Amino acid sequence: MSVTAGPAEPKARLRVVIAEDTVLLREGLRRVLTDAGLDVAGTAADADQLLKLVQALSPDVVLTDIRMPPDQTTEGLQAALEIRRRWPGTAVIVVSQHVETEHLFELLADDPRGIGYVLKERVADIAQFTDAIRRVAAGESVIDPQVVSRLVTRPRRDSPLETLTERELAVLALMAEGRSNQAIAGQLYMSPKTVETHVGNLFAKLGLLPGAQDHRRVLAVLTYLRR
Amino acid sequence: MNRALRAALVAGATAAVGCFVWSSWPPNSQYAPVEISFAVVGLSFMVAGIAAWQRWPASRLGLLFTIIGYLYLVPYILVNLANPAAWTIGNLSEGISGAALAHLGLAWPTGRLRSRFECGVVVANYVQNITFNTAATMAWNPAFSGCNASCPANVLLIGNGSRSAWNTLGTIQALVGLVITGIVLTLIVRHWRSARGWSRRAMIPLLWIAPAVGAENILTGNLFHFSPLVTYALLPLLLLAGPVLFVISTVRARTAGGALGTAIVDLEPGASPGRLRDALARALGDSTLQLAFRQPGGAGHLDTSGQAVDADRPDSGRVVAPIAGSGGAVLVYDVGLKLEPQLVKLTAAAASMALEHARLQAEVQAQLEQVRASRARLVEAGDAERRRLERDLHDGAQQRLVTLSLALGMARDRAAEADPELGSLIESASKEAREALTELRELARGIHPAVLTETGLSGAIQALVERSPVATTITAVPHGRYPAAIEATAYFVVSEALANVAKHARADGAQVMIRKFPGRLLVEVSDDGAGGALSEGGSGLRGLADRVASVGGVLRVDSPPGGGTRLEADIPCP
Repeated sequence: MSVTAGPAEPKARLRVVIAEDTVLLREGLRRVLTDAGLDVAGTAADADQLLKLVQALSPDVVLTDIRMPPDQTTEGLQAALEIRRRWPGTAVIVVSQHVETEHLFELLADDPRGIGYVLKERVADIAQFTDAIRRVAAGESVIDPQVVSRLVTRPRRDSPLETLTERELAVLALMAEGRSNQAIAGQLYMSPKTVETHVGNLFAKLGLLPGAQDHRRVLAVLTYLRR
Repeated sequence: MNRALRAALVAGATAAVGCFVWSSWPPNSQYAPVEISFAVVGLSFMVAGIAAWQRWPASRLGLLFTIIGYLYLVPYILVNLANPAAWTIGNLSEGISGAALAHLGLAWPTGRLRSRFECGVVVANYVQNITFNTAATMAWNPAFSGCNASCPANVLLIGNGSRSAWNTLGTIQALVGLVITGIVLTLIVRHWRSARGWSRRAMIPLLWIAPAVGAENILTGNLFHFSPLVTYALLPLLLLAGPVLFVISTVRARTAGGALGTAIVDLEPGASPGRLRDALARALGDSTLQLAFRQPGGAGHLDTSGQAVDADRPDSGRVVAPIAGSGGAVLVYDVGLKLEPQLVKLTAAAASMALEHARLQAEVQAQLEQVRASRARLVEAGDAERRRLERDLHDGAQQRLVTLSLALGMARDRAAEADPELGSLIESASKEAREALTELRELARGIHPAVLTETGLSGAIQALVERSPVATTITAVPHGRYPAAIEATAYFVVSEALANVAKHARADGAQVMIRKFPGRLLVEVSDDGAGGALSEGGSGLRGLADRVASVGGVLRVDSPPGGGTRLEADIPCP
């Protein structure tokens, strides 16, 4: 077991722990994140190491693969859940190869704040990836756009979703990605007020309880999209 | 008893009856009923003799029956011939038929006496008869019966004879006869009581023959005096009963072979050895029949009721016959059945056939079981191989592509500032890598859904439904975990069914329902599409049915044209 502690950095920088069993990818990630100005406090090759590192280093963000040794099933996911239970302040991003939402919902079930679920290929877009880490560290939820778009575009029958306007649908998708109204406004070039109106309208159409600022909004929207 | 002798005896019997009729013609009005009744009795014994030969060629019963027939007829013929020598011999042989009848009863059913003692009793009976007949004849003057010149002379007469001596001799003879008859009847009762199974059945005619033995002695002896009506009407009737019953039982026994066939045909396939034994015992008429099987490891034989059987040294009165081609099974039956070798042979053949049938059936069953197991193993091996492939793809190619994407991303970011053209070149390479990753992920998922192994049916079915191009809802899905082969089968049923819905059904919506019942998992996928899936979805459905059958399940498809398709897999599941 090799526990690698990162070099000492000023407190302002986000302290990240990476768990990934492939050496090349693990080292690549360390480099990319360090280059992006993050402090990679340590890396782990399996779930046990990860838990020990989190206990020892108290990082701001944990980045973990789902499949890891010894069984190559869902060790990373289980570790993520345990970290959330034992150190609730720690943000966690799970890197997954599944577009399917089963693991996502396991992860989000308790408290979606500071939780991220991104697909593995997202690492290629370094800017987007580091942005996701920062958002999670700030307490937001980050759901991979591809996962959300699959849910939004699923064929449906007799669903109130069909009554949404294109704009409302776009707002819904961004909500499902874990974006705040502020961020949605920025991304869709609208005023926050307009976003709020859209959110109110589409909640009414879908029969969801209004609670625009509630942190559980992302879960409510995803659950609606999933069924 | 060979054919020639039998033919001679039959011919002799016919001649004897002819002589009897000729010698007593015209019938003397006073003795006519007696003569006729004895003719009928003699004839009936001869017929019974023929029947006995037909039925049990190995037995001496046929010979004894025939001799008794002669012994009833011949003395009357001789006495009626009006010849001194014939008359004398006729008188000497009168009543020996009774001793022969006792002989028949003791020798039943094999025609052979069982012990030296019984031999002695039979010989003594014959000897006392002839001795007393001789002595009585010496004392009998034909004039005593009132005929002087018309009667044939008594060759053995001593002096003028003595009526009182004749009477005394008759009384002594009756007493001696009574004692011997008592012994004979006691022995017959013992034979009856010790007989079991087939032998007991074969002795049924004795129930009439034994009383006849006793009755003849009492009715014709000098001790008691009955009216001629009783003597000459009751006695022939009693005497007739034995042969007649025997002939009837012989005719019935002829149908035993047919009964055997019926017994085997009636035996349902896969009947237990116990049922087979019962059928054979009924056909054979031997309730003691045992069907015994050799125990593995030289542990001897056990019959169908679990009783040990020594096939090499059977109990006394029992015979062991091996059953051909049965791997050491034997029939153990009553020794009396030696008289019915043909029936025993047929029975053994029928048993052999039935056991062979059962063995073949068990073999086919075992082979079927093997094929089932090997099919299940093949499918499981296929599943394992798919899991391995998926893992290899994930650990190998997919990880490398992710790493490559990451490196390309880094390269692009660095190049973008210095050389925008190179930057966009790397960007397009990075995009290719991402596309490849997506395609690889789909491929790996198609080979084996990792989510199935990781989270079980509920997660995997949810994943299937999420990617279904037709609006699909899950009505029910259990959250428990089941054996891998069963989960995989249920998953592939839903997967293939949804693929069919997308391809063929022209449906607006589909429903998936998976329910767990005690001992089984019921997977249902229905759509509201065009139906008629049997003609369209051909090979896919067949493959699916095979897959379901590999875990012992059944696939049902209900797809009326225009009425949607409902696919249901009923899978055994602990």
